[in-house]
Amino acid sequence: MTQPPFDSPFDLPPELAIDTDVARRVIAGFIRGQLEQAGFERVVLGLSGGIDSGLVAYLVAEAIGAERLLAVMLPYRSSSPASRADAEAVVTDLGCASDVVDITPMVDGYFGDPERPGAAGPDGPGRGEATALQRGNFAARMRMAVLYDRSVTWSGLVVGTGNKTESLIGYTTIFGDSACAFNPIGDLYKSQVRQLAVAVGVPSVIVNKAPSADLWPGQTDEAEGGFSYPVLDRLLFWRIDKRRSIEEMVALGFTTEMVERVDRMVAGAEFKRQVPPIAKLGPRTAGVDYLYPRRRPGSART
Amino acid sequence: MLGLVQSIKIALAQIAPRLGGLQANLASHHRLLDEARAGDVDLLVFPELGLTGYLLQDLAAEVAMRLDDPRLVSLAAATDGMSAIVSFVEESADHRLFIAAALLEDGELRHVHRKLFLPTYGLFDERRFFAAGDTLRAVPSRLGVGIGIGVCEDFWHLAVPQVLALDGAQILVNVSSSPGRDLAATNEVGLGTATSWRTLMRTYAQLTTSFVVFCNRVGVDESISFWGGSEVIAPNGAAILSAPLYDEGLYTVDIATADIRRERIALPLLRDERPELNIRELERIVAERAGLASDSTAEPDAEPGHDLTAVDPPSAAIGFRANRGHERKS
Repeated sequence: MTQPPFDSPFDLPPELAIDTDVARRVIAGFIRGQLEQAGFERVVLGLSGGIDSGLVAYLVAEAIGAERLLAVMLPYRSSSPASRADAEAVVTDLGCASDVVDITPMVDGYFGDPERPGAAGPDGPGRGEATALQRGNFAARMRMAVLYDRSVTWSGLVVGTGNKTESLIGYTTIFGDSACAFNPIGDLYKSQVRQLAVAVGVPSVIVNKAPSADLWPGQTDEAEGGFSYPVLDRLLFWRIDKRRSIEEMVALGFTTEMVERVDRMVAGAEFKRQVPPIAKLGPRTAGVDYLYPRRRPGSART
Repeated sequence: MLGLVQSIKIALAQIAPRLGGLQANLASHHRLLDEARAGDVDLLVFPELGLTGYLLQDLAAEVAMRLDDPRLVSLAAATDGMSAIVSFVEESADHRLFIAAALLEDGELRHVHRKLFLPTYGLFDERRFFAAGDTLRAVPSRLGVGIGIGVCEDFWHLAVPQVLALDGAQILVNVSSSPGRDLAATNEVGLGTATSWRTLMRTYAQLTTSFVVFCNRVGVDESISFWGGSEVIAPNGAAILSAPLYDEGLYTVDIATADIRRERIALPLLRDERPELNIRELERIVAERAGLASDSTAEPDAEPGHDLTAVDPPSAAIGFRANRGHERKS
């Protein structure tokens, strides 16, 4: 058996197709449950103009009503104007509250720019010399800082928008875009995100554009990673969800080289998916042998 | 009793318990008992850990009740003239914690089933927090039928429904907190977990020629969503009540006990069961697995309890590539 030819980056591998009606029921209940147990009624979301945050905006609106959602657009000076326009289209379509926070002064304030040094100092990483990856990670953490500030002023929980594919391969910024109070789509592969986005009515211009972290002009995930999402999703699905061996993966049409490369990415990103370990010293240690649900009687905000 | 045309009204409380919220859950149980009585319900079934929520972890000890706990006594007292099955964390005299389901009837606690099989794999971690029960009994009820209770995973073990039926159960009741997973579009009703359970319930009803009552909760504990889909299956394997997935509610159905007699005469599977054969072969298997007897049908190098000689496994999962099968020379 050979790898099916996924001509389009938007093909849905058949084995990944989900029942979107059930997914919407589960996710709506999940969102309401998280809020209720935490004592919150509202949600704050970082809206980039991409499909992940776009889908989450629609799912939140479906679960609790658009009037209880604040979408914050957080552009950097190099962010694509098209992304902003797409984000605006979501806000207009849903009728949710929105806000724009230009994070350029925050990012450049640290790195500096060609004219003056930033907070990192004259010998710091700034002065225009920081790599795009460095700036991208810093920008993701500045967005996180803004969202958590808006969490207080809007009285809403920060909803996560990371998908399963990027989490597994580590295509996330730790304490940046992966930071959230809860995540309704973190167990959906990118292809499934697309399937669900179509089902909930995310504007087609967002569904049909090439996925991009928008860290620099013209960047796309698939060009940067050297893979297409349908192929990667299918690989991860069989390897991780269905526990297939390398021999079995080869029989499914993947090369040993690609499987081993993805294995390394997944193993290398394990630290991003877990709570940091605490040195075990006392009788009861959070996460080790002090194990409580995140929410229980008395833990809801009153 | 079975010769009479008798109807039993069963209600399934497909509820979303509050995690750790014993007081709130007790109040909702009392409310639903009142509602069921007003609706002439004979048997009201609540889901697994309906009084406490499921994903308790260290909270289990804090919501545990002794069987003489006044809160439980008060709940039992609310069953005057009817039957109910409720589920909670039971603390025994020696301070073991059990996932328990109790049959309450006419104001009294009549029977307690302690969950026998505690899943500790995949998303489950029950054995860390709970002790496993050791007894499995069908009991007579005021409804004129024998009732056999299992809790969730108990029904993933073939012997449980069979033993309950052989012990006199005509209604097998499973109370569950089943987390929904696998949304593959190819699944019946769009959910893999539902497909599995629906298959089990129909199979058990048919093979034991008994009614099977499945009460599963809804709502969310942490990451997991419980899918509901509670059902009542007739002794011929046909569903006579299928509650919706994920919707909270009290779902009722009338069952005719004459169906049990009719099915057991038409299809006398229980009559033909041979428990003595089970015992004989199981005793042999237990001895062989313990290495106390040799297995005459096994290959010479097979491990105790296995018939075949072990073969090399295929390559291992992520993180264990060093042990990959094709790198081994042997």
